[in-house]
Amino acid sequence: MTFYEQEVRRLHALMYPRPELTRRIIQAKEYIDRNFQGPVGLSSIAGNAFLSKFHFLRLFKLHYGMTPHQYLTAVRLREARRLLAEGLPVSQVCGAVGFDSISSFKGLFKRYWGRTPSMLKKAILETGVAGKV
Amino acid sequence: MVDDQKKALRFYTEVLGFIKKRDIPMGEHSWLTVVGPKEPDGTELLLEPMGFEPARVFQKALFDAGIPFTMFQVEDIQAEYLRLQGLGVVFKMPPTPMGPSTIALFADGCGNYIQIFQV
Repeated sequence: MTFYEQEVRRLHALMYPRPELTRRIIQAKEYIDRNFQGPVGLSSIAGNAFLSKFHFLRLFKLHYGMTPHQYLTAVRLREARRLLAEGLPVSQVCGAVGFDSISSFKGLFKRYWGRTPSMLKKAILETGVAGKV
Repeated sequence: MVDDQKKALRFYTEVLGFIKKRDIPMGEHSWLTVVGPKEPDGTELLLEPMGFEPARVFQKALFDAGIPFTMFQVEDIQAEYLRLQGLGVVFKMPPTPMGPSTIALFADGCGNYIQIFQV
């Protein structure tokens, strides 16, 4: 067994000692992936994972390096970028990815992608390449 | 770093599915880059020729320890594992759970291990 294989095994055992908990956290992440367009509450996700809110929050961060809310926001903003590249209006994209407030959507989008939805959409449509902007 | 750029170009395009972006002659080597098919103007992967002896020592040390030189995210690691096996790629490590991720490791035939992962 190589050094790397030994390290993978060691870290896996150290970081994720309870496979059942890891499985539940993965399921919770997949729940967010499937339901980000609608309201996704921490209580309901934690409840589905049979964990208290606090325990769930801690475990999610341990597994993915961010809180469930941060993950949910990232999923929504990545999808928003994809929809903007398809030419959808900003207001429609905002609702389609689960945001209630357009101003909050615009602010989060700018913080995540470095420019407003309108600016990004314009740049994508001008260059015709989503990966370039 | 690759020990043979022509061989590397074949592997990274025909097997892994990258697209050649630049191939600019540079003496006995080339400035050779490939890109992902979904983002032709995205990040370029440089298939850098092995032209510096200490780098060869570094690359061999990584390879002997089984450490991947780089890694690529895939959407479905099991499907990619089967696809690459079908193209003759030999895996050092089959898809293996690592917490919330799954990783797999194969040699690129140019002196490196490459890891693919799914989150």
